[in-house]
Amino acid sequence: MQFELNENHALLKTSIREFLEKESPLAKSRPMMEETQEGFSKELYAELGDLGYLGLTLSESEGGGAAGVIGLAVVLEEMGRVAFPGPFLDLVLAEETLCRVKDQQASQFLQETVSGRKKVLLARSEALDDLERSSLQTRCDQDTIRGTKLPVSYGASADVLLVTTAEGLALVPRPEEGWKATSLPALDHAQRFVEISLDSPGRLLTDKQRADTILQEVDQLGALGASALMLGLMEGSLELTLDYLKERKAFGRTIGSFQVLQHRAADMWIRVESSRSAVYRAAWALENKLEEASLLVASAKAYSGDSARFVCGETIQLFGGVGYTWEYDPHIYYKRVKTLEQLYGSTRNQLEAALQSQGI
Amino acid sequence: MDFHFSEEQQQFRMELRAWLKENLERPWIEELRDPKNDEKKLFDIRRNWQAKLNESGYLGIHWPKEWGGRGLTVVENAIFAAEAIHAPPIASRVGINLLGPALIHHATEEQRRRFIPKMLSGEEVWCQGFSEPDAGSDLAALRTRAELDGEDFRLEGQKVWTTFAPWSDWIFVLARTDPDDRYGGITFFLVSLHQEGIDVRPIRQITGESEFGEVFFSGALAKREHIVGAIGEGWKIAMTVLAYERGSMSLAHLARFDHYLKDLVDGVRENGSLQRADVREKIARLMVEKEVLRANGYRTLATLASGQAPGPEASLEKIFWSEYSRRLADGALDLLGLQAHLLVRSPHARPHMDWAQEALYSRAVTIYAGSSEIQRNIISKRILKLPSS
Repeated sequence: MQFELNENHALLKTSIREFLEKESPLAKSRPMMEETQEGFSKELYAELGDLGYLGLTLSESEGGGAAGVIGLAVVLEEMGRVAFPGPFLDLVLAEETLCRVKDQQASQFLQETVSGRKKVLLARSEALDDLERSSLQTRCDQDTIRGTKLPVSYGASADVLLVTTAEGLALVPRPEEGWKATSLPALDHAQRFVEISLDSPGRLLTDKQRADTILQEVDQLGALGASALMLGLMEGSLELTLDYLKERKAFGRTIGSFQVLQHRAADMWIRVESSRSAVYRAAWALENKLEEASLLVASAKAYSGDSARFVCGETIQLFGGVGYTWEYDPHIYYKRVKTLEQLYGSTRNQLEAALQSQGI
Repeated sequence: MDFHFSEEQQQFRMELRAWLKENLERPWIEELRDPKNDEKKLFDIRRNWQAKLNESGYLGIHWPKEWGGRGLTVVENAIFAAEAIHAPPIASRVGINLLGPALIHHATEEQRRRFIPKMLSGEEVWCQGFSEPDAGSDLAALRTRAELDGEDFRLEGQKVWTTFAPWSDWIFVLARTDPDDRYGGITFFLVSLHQEGIDVRPIRQITGESEFGEVFFSGALAKREHIVGAIGEGWKIAMTVLAYERGSMSLAHLARFDHYLKDLVDGVRENGSLQRADVREKIARLMVEKEVLRANGYRTLATLASGQAPGPEASLEKIFWSEYSRRLADGALDLLGLQAHLLVRSPHARPHMDWAQEALYSRAVTIYAGSSEIQRNIISKRILKLPSS
């Protein structure tokens, strides 16, 4: 029984925190979210590749950092803390998919993603809701992929798409004239969603059955990763709140001295720390491939989603009027959380998954 | 990061399971259901069970061997709590769980030798004299006085919410030795209940039982040799007791909650509502929160096992498990309807679970051991460092 991070993970936490605090405080990242087309700093992502963060979860033989699921959680938690924009988790999930496919071209794209030279991203969803559908409309017909995927996160920035089709998982390099991608601006202005219409050359990597198995494993990692991001987001949001409560004055005193606000801050902290327990226990179970991992990952995602919604919403409320302004940062955290609650297995689907993992 | 139980700990669990199978004659719920068992009889069953555990080395599992313990860790103690959920609760729960750690940390060797063995054997049952009618959440406002009488002291005052008072032999009391020093004027006494100047009156609870009572002191003797720590150190020692009361117990509660939630799932399966979306969502949330509770519990356990004393983080656990227990019981009453209202002795009551008792008792757990409001004060002041008004 040990809850502390081991030496390597503790070191990883310090390094990524220092890097992000220097390179991507909100003062620097907000212009990326608000003023660039891709929504993130391409230079920083290249640097993440150089520093080895992009191959974090891969084995050493694949050129990765072998940091495991716990290492991934550590890095994503820190990214959440500063609301780091861009497709970091999506790239990790595409890598995890590629490395499970035995294919020479896939291996080559994997290496290029790890080094930061290319971006491979998954294109799976065909609808905006989270309802399960029995079949995919996108087809793979004699090395041509036809269909519409939406939303695809950061799809416009992809060099290669991994596309799910009725026949299986297909590899689709970006056509020379670029993707037929329509931007879908949404509530979370840091997120980039596109709709991509495909009628492009591509080829099948695996059949449907194998693809489903691979993607099931990748989905667990996605849910865990999103939980760790939300843990970081609520941590960052709570830090903002505590600073504000300690400096803002009203009625002749610091507002943090009002018990009604103290108790609300205490509830936020309880949510943050309980999510931390849940996220790291799930990461540990997934890393060790334990049977209870599906229950624990689903629990972590559902619980940290509810908690992050609560914590980041409270931040806006406790800031008062300025919390509702574009200028202040609380809305950045709140919006990121809303996106993550839906993606990587929505809360209601995770709740159902938790029940089913127990045969209920 | 490691949540594994070690080989030795697994071994401990297996041996314990075998021992329980051999030694536990009847699940506690059946004793409760038996019309022949009145409150006195039930308490005797608890006392006998405690004696049996003590003979077999299953009490004070994480205490040092020299004080009658088994010399293992809080992890094995938690395993015990989880495995023994169908067994009667021990008679001297308050003594062993709360006073025990305080004696081990703060008492003299002589006091430990005098009190610990009889506490373990159940020969002497303890209750806790902290709260008073005008000192509940504001415990330091307590007014029970200890007045010097020769070498020793005489107690004047009243304690309330004293769990097991009607069945106890001894009480550990916080009493005022200096009226002018709010915290430094409090001393921790061990006092016999079998003497002149003490009057114990049961209080009837909302469950109808009288598990706790009031204790009145009028000149009762409190011996100097039975002061724990120094005069004026009572507050500090009380804080140790309360930290143990708050923290490290989630795993024991978890074992109960596992059992309860299983009964709830069985119940909705039987009444045919398990496929309803509203039912599924409610049960899924209770299940998810229970896993979060377990994760919090393991985390505290890991901290304690590494030798650290429970800190203000214990407040997180206390709030989480106590408030969860309310949500779980309310959830069962909602989803099982009046079947969950039936008392354990009623026809048609659920055979393995006393939801009515649990639903009522869950209204106590967010009050005792420092109310949820006090825990939030502790978090905001000591962890979040928010300013005092």
